[in-house]
Amino acid sequence: MSRKKTLKSKGSSSSPPSSALPPAKESGQAGGAAARAKGGSSRPSPELPLNGAVLPSRPSLSSSGEFYDVAFKVMLVGDSGVGKTCLLVRFKDGAFLAGSFISTVGIDFRNKVLNVDAVKVKLQIWDTAGQERFRSVTHAYYRDAHALLLLYDVTNRASFDNIQAWLTEIHEYAQQDVVLMLLGNKVDSTQDRVVKREDGEKLAKEYGVPFMETSAKSGLNVDLAFTAIAKELKHRSMKLPNEPKFKLHDYVKKEVRGSGCCRS
Amino acid sequence: MAADVHKKKGWEVPNGSLVPTDGQPMERSESPTPGLVQGTEPGAGQEGGMFVHTRSYEDLTSPEDGDVASRSPEEGRGDQADQTSMAHISKDFSELSTQLTGMALDLEEEMRLSQENEMDLSPQTARRDSARSEKEDEDVTMEAWRMHQKHVFVLSEAGKPVYSRYGSEEALSSTMGVMMALVSFLEAEKNAIRSIHADGYKVVFVRRSPLVLVAMARTRQSEQEIAHELLYIYYQILSLVTWTQLNHIFQQKQNYDLRRLLAGSERITDNLLDLMARDPSFLMGAARSLPMAAGLRDTVSTCLQQAKAKSLVFSILLSRNQLVSLVRRKDQFLHPIDLHLLFNLISSSSSFREGEAWTPICLPKFNSSGFFHAHISYLEQDLCLLLVSTDREDFFTISDCKHRFQERLRKRGVSHALLEALRTPFYSVSQVGIPDLRHFIYKSKSSGLFTSPEIEAPYVSEEEKQRLLELYQYLHSRAHNSSRPLKNIYFTGPSENLLAWVTSAFELYMCYSPLGTKAAAVSAVNKLMKWIRREEDRLFILTPQTY
Repeated sequence: MSRKKTLKSKGSSSSPPSSALPPAKESGQAGGAAARAKGGSSRPSPELPLNGAVLPSRPSLSSSGEFYDVAFKVMLVGDSGVGKTCLLVRFKDGAFLAGSFISTVGIDFRNKVLNVDAVKVKLQIWDTAGQERFRSVTHAYYRDAHALLLLYDVTNRASFDNIQAWLTEIHEYAQQDVVLMLLGNKVDSTQDRVVKREDGEKLAKEYGVPFMETSAKSGLNVDLAFTAIAKELKHRSMKLPNEPKFKLHDYVKKEVRGSGCCRS
Repeated sequence: MAADVHKKKGWEVPNGSLVPTDGQPMERSESPTPGLVQGTEPGAGQEGGMFVHTRSYEDLTSPEDGDVASRSPEEGRGDQADQTSMAHISKDFSELSTQLTGMALDLEEEMRLSQENEMDLSPQTARRDSARSEKEDEDVTMEAWRMHQKHVFVLSEAGKPVYSRYGSEEALSSTMGVMMALVSFLEAEKNAIRSIHADGYKVVFVRRSPLVLVAMARTRQSEQEIAHELLYIYYQILSLVTWTQLNHIFQQKQNYDLRRLLAGSERITDNLLDLMARDPSFLMGAARSLPMAAGLRDTVSTCLQQAKAKSLVFSILLSRNQLVSLVRRKDQFLHPIDLHLLFNLISSSSSFREGEAWTPICLPKFNSSGFFHAHISYLEQDLCLLLVSTDREDFFTISDCKHRFQERLRKRGVSHALLEALRTPFYSVSQVGIPDLRHFIYKSKSSGLFTSPEIEAPYVSEEEKQRLLELYQYLHSRAHNSSRPLKNIYFTGPSENLLAWVTSAFELYMCYSPLGTKAAAVSAVNKLMKWIRREEDRLFILTPQTY
């Protein structure tokens, strides 16, 4: 049978631009371009007032086979080792990645569908590698993100000090109206904490971004962080006439839970 | 023989491309000693290879010409007319046995000694999989640290530590300083240090400016092979930063701490070292193909070929470091070293098992100055799809290729059969029907693929498996010794008889029962070669596809 194959492919290779090939290529490109246009902010559509969210007229099937009404891209950024992957795994699978440290290679892309006020919101989550050598590839995808979760590690002062640099980078590469949230992770390690909550709050206030402390290990505020973002994005993209305006800051303030026992 | 000459012509491709010119039918020899001419041996692809032609192992170890590696299969086809007949070979073997007795005794002694050594060392080898942090914590002043089978160090020319397999680099900075001093001292005399041979261990140096790589090995590998492994480590580093960037950085700042740029990659390098110690792919300089029915593989390859995009260069489907299918852009060939680096990257992290990863990677043998972008995802438990693109921005397009591929697999109804094939990634040596044959490795040089049965009894324990691989390493190092290469080796040992046969078209390493005679082993070669020929469309990828 392999001999037959030879003849066949020989035939096609002798006439390089075989007639069957180019159209297939075309459609591939077109499909890709369309997919990108949908994700990008450029597509002019009344349904997509802000941020260019994908808003299909009827529920679509995501690659994981789940139906959704609206899809957004969320990106996790921050220094290497602050717990971006752990935060994502906690949110997605409800588990904690204990044990050895596995650093993310490049960018990792995962989906999760959330129910926000009876609307199925698909979050396409980009988990990025914090290391310097992956900076160029993360830069390339900033502008596709509708929301950014910027993380630091409360047990690592340097990761907190680098937040300013991250914010500069975000202003340079991300979209103007990107939803941004600052997260101080690993608050379960009370013994090793070196960044006070007040420091985080102060920095967040300075830049006007919502802030909360999280723990991927205990699960504290993890779902909240993603839900808050999903709510904000959903409200922005499908504003109903009689609906009160959603205020991310207020919502976060109301819902956030402290790490200690004596916090109201 | 006239036919051979004719076939050889078909392989002398003028434009340096491996694809045979059209209208030159590749005749497949049906003779009992098939394929002594490259391209006609069992397992040779019908449309040329998928890989850059490495003439041989020497090709991989020979010093680089610097930056961009050879992409074309240059000279070296002329000397291939190895027209040895079976009778001739048998004669060679009968002569060889006497010549090699001395060597055999050496080996035996070495093996015995090392087995004793291994006993002491087993605790260390067992903790191979321990987390990197533990390795980092290891006290470098302890005896246990000294007793590791193989240390690997990478340092910059300024003597700054870049990588150490065991222990933290900081703690080793003075040791690395000494290494650099040794290198510089000899260089001052317009000389180069290559290795130090001491009682029970070798220290091997490889200099690839701006890096120096040093191995300290208690294994029985030859200096050449250890240097080969160090080169792999060098390429591994290049795959993360590119040759261009590496040189640029050190030109700007001689005492740059490269660890900053390599942060998080230690695990990948560790994994590469572990993999080289147990996977014969690296030794063979070839990829192992997953056995499956030719029809199924062709269908899968066609699906993969159809899910293409403008920026795609290679689409690779693999399962646990075994190649299922590889589709490449028409004029582009992958180098086995680059493929091994990709395999290593995938096997070094469990984080690819979920979601879709998108990462820059340099394929140093293809082009050491730039990055490709690899899309890595698992379709099933052990089935990994790797799509290599030239465009950093193309994630969504490439991700779409993945979905189209999956869709096509479903439509053609082969998903199930594919999973079934993945469940039996190895075949038993008993299928060959040679009672005394225990194991073999057969590499087809023109396709760059090798096949090997499952390692079965008596090589059950990890130590025994390791020993078998070491025997192959030994045969390989003898066959490819740069000063005295051998074509045929027959070795009688206390626990097994071994036979190696290296031609310009293939390499065969055979492990045979110690009770078998040499005559039986030689006739077994014949039978084995016939079997491989019969099974070649299942064991190899005969019809590789291009976009």
